[in-house]
Amino acid sequence: MRGEEAELDSALERAADLLDRARFPVFGGLLTDIGGAAAALSLAEKLGGVIDHAASAGLMRASKVMRETGGTPASFGEIRNRADTVVVIGKAPLARDPDLVEKLFPAKPGLPRPGDNKRELILLGADKAKTPKHVSATAVDSRASLPELVALLAASLREGRFDLRDTALRAKIDAAAARLRKSAFAVFVYDPAEIEEPVMHTVLEMVRHLVLTTRAAILSMAAPGNGDGVNLCSTWTCGLPIRTSFAGDVPQHDAWAYDTDRLLKSAEADALVWIDALAGDTAARPKGAAAIVLSANPTRAAKDDIVIEVASAAADHDAALFLPPLSGIGMVKAGKADKGKPTVAAVLTRIAELIDERRAA
Amino acid sequence: MLIKLTGGKVYDPANKVSGELRDIYVEDGKILAGVPDARPDQTYDIRGKVVMAGAIDPHTHIGGGKMTIARMLLPEDHQGDPVARTELTRAGCGHAVPSTHLTGYRYAEMGYTACFEPAMLPANARQAHMEMGDTPMVDKGAFAMLGSDDFFLRQLSEKKDFEAIKDYVAWTMHAAQAIAVKVVNPGGISAFKFNQRKLDLDEEHAYYGVTPRQIILNLARALKELGVTHPLHIHGCNLGVPGNMETTLDTIRAADGLPIHLTHIQFHSYGTEGDRKFSSGAPQIVELLNKTPNISIDVGQVLFGQTCTASGDSMRQYAIGKSAHPKKPVTMDIECDAGCGVVPMRYRDKSFVNALQWTIGLETFLLFEDPWRLFLTTDHPNGAPFYTYPHLIRLLMDKSFRDEMFQKLNADAQSQSILPSLKREYTLDEIAILTRAGPARSLGLKDRGHLGAGAAGDITVYKDNKDREAMFATPELVFKNGELIVKNGKVVKVVQGATHVARPDYDRSIERPLKDYFERFHTVSLENFKLADDEIVTGDKGSIVVQPTAARMA
Ligand SMILES: [Zn+2]
Repeated sequence: MRGEEAELDSALERAADLLDRARFPVFGGLLTDIGGAAAALSLAEKLGGVIDHAASAGLMRASKVMRETGGTPASFGEIRNRADTVVVIGKAPLARDPDLVEKLFPAKPGLPRPGDNKRELILLGADKAKTPKHVSATAVDSRASLPELVALLAASLREGRFDLRDTALRAKIDAAAARLRKSAFAVFVYDPAEIEEPVMHTVLEMVRHLVLTTRAAILSMAAPGNGDGVNLCSTWTCGLPIRTSFAGDVPQHDAWAYDTDRLLKSAEADALVWIDALAGDTAARPKGAAAIVLSANPTRAAKDDIVIEVASAAADHDAALFLPPLSGIGMVKAGKADKGKPTVAAVLTRIAELIDERRAA
Repeated sequence: MLIKLTGGKVYDPANKVSGELRDIYVEDGKILAGVPDARPDQTYDIRGKVVMAGAIDPHTHIGGGKMTIARMLLPEDHQGDPVARTELTRAGCGHAVPSTHLTGYRYAEMGYTACFEPAMLPANARQAHMEMGDTPMVDKGAFAMLGSDDFFLRQLSEKKDFEAIKDYVAWTMHAAQAIAVKVVNPGGISAFKFNQRKLDLDEEHAYYGVTPRQIILNLARALKELGVTHPLHIHGCNLGVPGNMETTLDTIRAADGLPIHLTHIQFHSYGTEGDRKFSSGAPQIVELLNKTPNISIDVGQVLFGQTCTASGDSMRQYAIGKSAHPKKPVTMDIECDAGCGVVPMRYRDKSFVNALQWTIGLETFLLFEDPWRLFLTTDHPNGAPFYTYPHLIRLLMDKSFRDEMFQKLNADAQSQSILPSLKREYTLDEIAILTRAGPARSLGLKDRGHLGAGAAGDITVYKDNKDREAMFATPELVFKNGELIVKNGKVVKVVQGATHVARPDYDRSIERPLKDYFERFHTVSLENFKLADDEIVTGDKGSIVVQPTAARMA
């Protein structure tokens, strides 16, 4: 144990030296719990660095669309209990969570819900190979691209006039649209990492059209690696989502400028703090810049990295995380608490203290 | 350490002190009774200054999912009001919905030392408490939202034993770490899920068959019998609907002696007179309230400018989505419990409707006789951001200033309003009641909102200035638990406030049906739903104050 502690102390000292000297450090990966995210935000702010997350791409797209036009989300539990029509758009939602359909269509009846339609699944641009038997499902699939399928469904929903040579597809699209029109609570599920902003806008337009007379909503698949949790924590703490820089006088958010990969490739960032410490998840450390790696998966580091082995959130310690089934922040109890390894929050807080000591000296 | 504040004019209505010159002693965070021969470690000479207890905001949206949705939604609000980090304070941004740290600093810089989040969804309590935990300087607490949750609606429709309803209400307060309970559009958030677009006081929920009246009476009675100090906090039916004054009058009569609190009543005081079918119902409502001592209110004053409305009332927020500015409303359905709506809003003095909303709020303040039953709020950020409080105080205290502002309003609104005929000017005593003593008494905060022996050393010192807006915007000194935290309107020390909760007794066997309910319908287990003390008190951050409740009545 002694040896490990000495090793940890020396790694923390070297990390503090590196960060104290850094001109523009970036905190990336951020596969950690809310406690770890809060500590990273605090340290990034102190150092004038950037915070970003490994799954930012989808998060940034979803938040940009919301900032442009608002939104109509429903929580996972609400959909599971009450939606009568669920439209899964694209292949990513089922790739991300192979049990998604089973979760959204539990065999037992849910809470009272509006209308008396039988519950139905529509797969748009995905096949229904893995749909459980008790779920009534139709697939609207063809060689048409996903944006085209969404646009066709939107046009048919509004009973607009459009031409389509593929009569089989036309029939499926019209049937899906008819079903949506008679739904009491229709929900569109998509992964913002898969579909582009204009497609999301089209989906939101469909929801807005439906809610004039009935209820409808969207479920945007949560980002992996507690991305939504980290993004929420950033938003309440500093008022801006991730991909925010504290280098200037005031915090500044820019989804393009403060992308970890871009900052490393352009060599604008001269130090990387890579955090990869979440049970059941990992992300590869990007190349470039001297790095401090806080990892529960030690093999992911490069040769010259300062590696600090940390506890894995939700495996080695209880962790507050964004839980997709809750559509909110929940507490996950660790299976077997391992007090031997420090948490990300503890490590970052200690590094901050060491930097304070250096600056005071 | 003993500190002494000497020579100030003290306004402490809870202890019947009105502008008297008094010395105040604070030791170990608490106010002492007079200590004539004491040798203070530190003395503050505050001769000529006005002294009050730290102010308490009993209804301000500072934490929880909908506020962070609003923060995400409004980059223009945020990038337009950025604040740099200092050696002492964190960076942040946001005007209508500022980031959490800024919220704490700005409240303290305005002389506030406690803030209460009135709309915490139990399913989202964890995030709400996390956000409040990241709101330094002030004490805080939250009201659990009930009344559209399926468990309760089912209890009501199946005519379950009333004791079980009480147990469920108490259980929820424990699980969510709440100090009070709020009902929002009673049953209406659930009815909206069944595509009902309105739900009046005696209108039945399409599925459960229960009415808002039943929901209000059951929850209000439950809280009374549980001994919870703050009565049911009611955001009534038909928010913002012209003609809703009739619903409000009916709700007041429905209480029939039960204690209730009607929140942001301005938004519920609309008549349908005049060419535009929109008029003030404040005189009739306040006339009835003046005769109804069991009811307290807060106003939810509208003040002009850009803000963002955020509410659990998904039904009404959907309806006002068309007036969103900028045009990007959010409507959300949430987990068996509730929903929410976030709608950016710009109130303009030249708009007939907005101008009338402004006058309706002020009429309510000026006609309402008992300051102990009236709290000063803008329903931050719904009517205006909380920084506008000093402006609102000046409107109440200064008739000529009020008249001057009135002249700027939309002309049709001016011609409809009785406001110029209301000569009342609030006194400093009354302001101290509205912003300190009254909220503390109503929320059951035994040791806040006053300056008597044993109270927390939460003290605000103002320079006595005829311009009351300037006076209340920039207190000279603010103490939190006896520590100087703000000087000349700027934070000089960052502290962490406590979280206030109330924990009425209940029969634990209510967990049996709840466990079954959670397993069948929820996405988290019953155990995981509960928020533990050590999630609020983490390391050196935070503490919990359990405020007393009265004995449970059968
Ligand atoms: Zn409110």
